Amino acid sequence: MRDSRRARLILAMLLLTAFTLITLDYRSGGGGPLRRVGNSVFGPIERAVAAVVHPIGSFFSGLGHLNSYKSENSKLKTQNEDLLRRLRLTEGDQAHLASAERLLNLAGRAQFRIVPAQVVAVRSAFDFEWTATIDVGSTDGVHPNQTVINGDGLVGKTLYVGPTTSTILLARDPKFTAGARLEGSRQIGRVDGGGRDPMTLTLLDSQAKMHVGDRLVSFGSEGDRPFVAEVPIGRITRIEPTPGELYRTGIVAPYVDYTSLDLVGVVVGQPRTVPRDSLLPPSPTPSPTPSGTPSGTPSGSPPPGAGASPSTPADTSASPRPTGTP
Amino acid sequence: MRRGLLSTAVVLTALLVQADIINRLDLPGGHPDLPVVCVVALALAGGPTYGTVLGFFTGLAADILPPADHTIGRLALAYAVVGYLAGLVEDVEERSVVTTVAVVAVASGVAVVLFGGIGALLGDIRITAGGLTRSLGATVIYDVVLAPFVVPLVSGALRRVEPAG
Repeated sequence: MRDSRRARLILAMLLLTAFTLITLDYRSGGGGPLRRVGNSVFGPIERAVAAVVHPIGSFFSGLGHLNSYKSENSKLKTQNEDLLRRLRLTEGDQAHLASAERLLNLAGRAQFRIVPAQVVAVRSAFDFEWTATIDVGSTDGVHPNQTVINGDGLVGKTLYVGPTTSTILLARDPKFTAGARLEGSRQIGRVDGGGRDPMTLTLLDSQAKMHVGDRLVSFGSEGDRPFVAEVPIGRITRIEPTPGELYRTGIVAPYVDYTSLDLVGVVVGQPRTVPRDSLLPPSPTPSPTPSGTPSGTPSGSPPPGAGASPSTPADTSASPRPTGTP
Repeated sequence: MRRGLLSTAVVLTALLVQADIINRLDLPGGHPDLPVVCVVALALAGGPTYGTVLGFFTGLAADILPPADHTIGRLALAYAVVGYLAGLVEDVEERSVVTTVAVVAVASGVAVVLFGGIGALLGDIRITAGGLTRSLGATVIYDVVLAPFVVPLVSGALRRVEPAG
């Protein structure tokens, strides 16, 4: 231990620095200058790495032993190999396309204006944090505190926005809280992400009833930030016995699989009204939606009175209904 | 100089691999923490002073690397302590694999506990007793699994760059 004295001195100095940093950042309430530096410096690097890493998984499975063919067969074999590889890649692409289609379908039915994004990194710090980095940022029109969805429902909200990447808070995170409404009824409550524990719903009205199997949608926030209304969240799977407590708590199984997030969309604009319960999943065969381009719809600015013709609630809520197969 | 470059490269790679690949794997219980293993490996070869400084800056980078969302400085503090402790073991003659693995296990545990403990002091609602226990167990076990592969590689590279730094 030659330099143990010097090492101890340096350790003490750095610990002091760390405590100072913690105090400063704690007082600024997150989103301080260092966080911004991290977002703008590391965000693009992460994005680039993900772009390389993402296709590798599907690529490796397809690349066979290309060097070992010398006979006449070799040409045919490589061709075959190549075709197989393409086939496999297409399978990966097809899954990607399917999720894109589902996302566009949901956004299209709700007439949300979305910015599609790819998840490039997830979770942080010993699995305490359920957060993700996505590859869109302020240059794409994303702001902090906007709703993030995918084809299945509510993913979370944007937290820190850098120039080309953003950090989102997933609905599973313990810090996450959103207003929610029970399908059908007018009961509203609060959904909390539980981290490793399940998500929970607490109804505001202590007399109100919830049942196993009830489905939840988001209850819009004021000015649609951070949450737009009517985004599917999940289903109640159990009701916690809470003897002696004023409010009842339901365990929620979310529609979104937070461990395998791929394509998401940041909602940057929405129509004045979304038909009630029209976005909930069980309409098994989604009909080809008439308005396939969600980007062409009017943005969040509400024109009172004039918004009658193509996007009336009655009009859109009628369209997904007739697909009820016997 | 070359040592600094090498450790920067190792640490940055570890941080990006952690965020872009390891954390995306759907492993039961939790995930290995590659940066901790790399800090330990470098500190074992470089000594306590080097380990402390390296740990601090690795932690600081991890604190601001998206998608991190905690008070900046928590990981810097935890990794600095880890780097110091691992550096103290530098002088042990003929370190066996068992010693190395034990150091990695202790270091991973210390990192999780320090990170979680400071979080609890600051009122971070993500830190619960149950979550801390589970994260502690998973991180230590996965890091121990990684150690025999990562530590010889990284320590060896550092010794080759700068013998007896």
